[in-house]
Amino acid sequence: MAEEQQQQQQQETVQRDMEGVNCLAHDEAIMAQQDRIQQEIAISNPLVSDRQDLSVLNSEYAQDDTVYQQKIKDLHRKYSCIRKTRPDGNCFYRAFGFSHLESLLDDSKELQRFKAVAAKSKLDLVSQGFTEFTIEDFHNTFMDLIELCEKQSSLGDLLSSFNDQSVSDYVVVYLRLLTSGYLQREHAFFQHFIEGGRTVKEFCQQEVEPMSKESDHIHIIALAKALNISILVEYMDRGEGGAVNNHVFPEGGEPRIFLLYRPGHYDILYK
Amino acid sequence: MESKYNLKSPAVKRLMKEAAELRDPTEHYHAQPLEDNLFEWHFSVRGPPDSDFDGGVYHGRIVLPPEYPMKPPSIILLTPNGRFEVGKKICLSISGHHPETWQPSWSIRTALIAIIGFMPTKGEGAIGSLDYTPEERRALAKKSQDFCCEACGCSMRTALLAPTSNSNPSREDREAKELARQISFKAESSTSSKASATPEAGGQTPTDIQAEASTSGGQDSAGTAHTEQAEAPSPSVEEAPVAPPAAAGP
Repeated sequence: MAEEQQQQQQQETVQRDMEGVNCLAHDEAIMAQQDRIQQEIAISNPLVSDRQDLSVLNSEYAQDDTVYQQKIKDLHRKYSCIRKTRPDGNCFYRAFGFSHLESLLDDSKELQRFKAVAAKSKLDLVSQGFTEFTIEDFHNTFMDLIELCEKQSSLGDLLSSFNDQSVSDYVVVYLRLLTSGYLQREHAFFQHFIEGGRTVKEFCQQEVEPMSKESDHIHIIALAKALNISILVEYMDRGEGGAVNNHVFPEGGEPRIFLLYRPGHYDILYK
Repeated sequence: MESKYNLKSPAVKRLMKEAAELRDPTEHYHAQPLEDNLFEWHFSVRGPPDSDFDGGVYHGRIVLPPEYPMKPPSIILLTPNGRFEVGKKICLSISGHHPETWQPSWSIRTALIAIIGFMPTKGEGAIGSLDYTPEERRALAKKSQDFCCEACGCSMRTALLAPTSNSNPSREDREAKELARQISFKAESSTSSKASATPEAGGQTPTDIQAEASTSGGQDSAGTAHTEQAEAPSPSVEEAPVAPPAAAGP
């Protein structure tokens, strides 16, 4: 999270500094800088971490940072563990994907339901106009991982798949496509929530489908609805009150996935 | 080619598929990998019919990064055309210079259609862009047919299927305009410095746009790699190239 903000700030600085220089040098400088920052983030953060005791959060904030320390205490009342994701702009999708597939390892009923939904989802996208041959590799990777869970593979196998950059990114691409597909199918509804005079399609092309674009409520609702999975997000920020606030997407659902949101970043929580 | 590459590599798998998909020329575009390099392609595109590029067929290179399709391809035109500089990576937000807007579900075909869609738009000083006069562009369009590429053996006279003569714009024409509009929109919504350096879509009517936009969801591929290092192959032009406009005049 801090890293993502830092990355943005640095990008903006570069962009300001480069004003007036020609666009090619400008772009290349930004890309080089982005690559450097991403490498630094990658070295210190696995795409998906091991499960850790929730107390690891305590040390991330100063002891006299009462707002956060109080909220962490509040989190402890409801959760015992956390699994972190790399802050690379794809953390919501990766956290969601890993958390749900992990839960399928010992829930064969949900696995069968989910597998059927996932299998059919490609046809829905193709019938909406997505090009089959360009999306099928992403879909195949996604199905491969569901089948990995079906074969009663170990958690370690799933974790190493999610830490294989190309496998992991292909899953993220597919989850982004599902999100985009759902938003576009339900564009009449979602249009009201989109800022900047953009159409739903434009929003999807700018804020959903490109990698590293961060997720907001609208993305979470769309993906939760597309796959019919309820997601609970605990919000932890500098706000007053001493307690974390949570929100269930879509409202009224029975959540299966628990995520911790700190400004700009999602991690996975465990009861 | 199959034996040379690791078929488990996502990029190889995808590019093989795209090569099969694009094997036969259409009347608007054609692209294939070079015989010895799956990561470098050559393409030919037909100038849009209702523009100064009508009658022109333009040739160029596409360089794919090892991370394709997670990272975009780079596009370099080899035929003088008066809209894009020859031998320079093109600065569209679809190309490698703006990787943040690239979508992994796009393909090389998306890139080709975007190029066609972008030809009639204004260059406005963007890197790799030229604003030649209509007369100069029309002269270059005529001349473009004489171009033969030494690297891939393509002759522009035979690179594409003959255009069918009807007055209705084809699906590709509309798709090209839509893509050009979409891409410039992205550029406008990004940072101010980028927006000012990016061409604006022009030359299409709002009704065209609406009609195409309503078929939401359809997109394909495109791309350009900034990792490209190879030297541009020296294309041969059968006759002396047309002098750029700067050299003309009293």
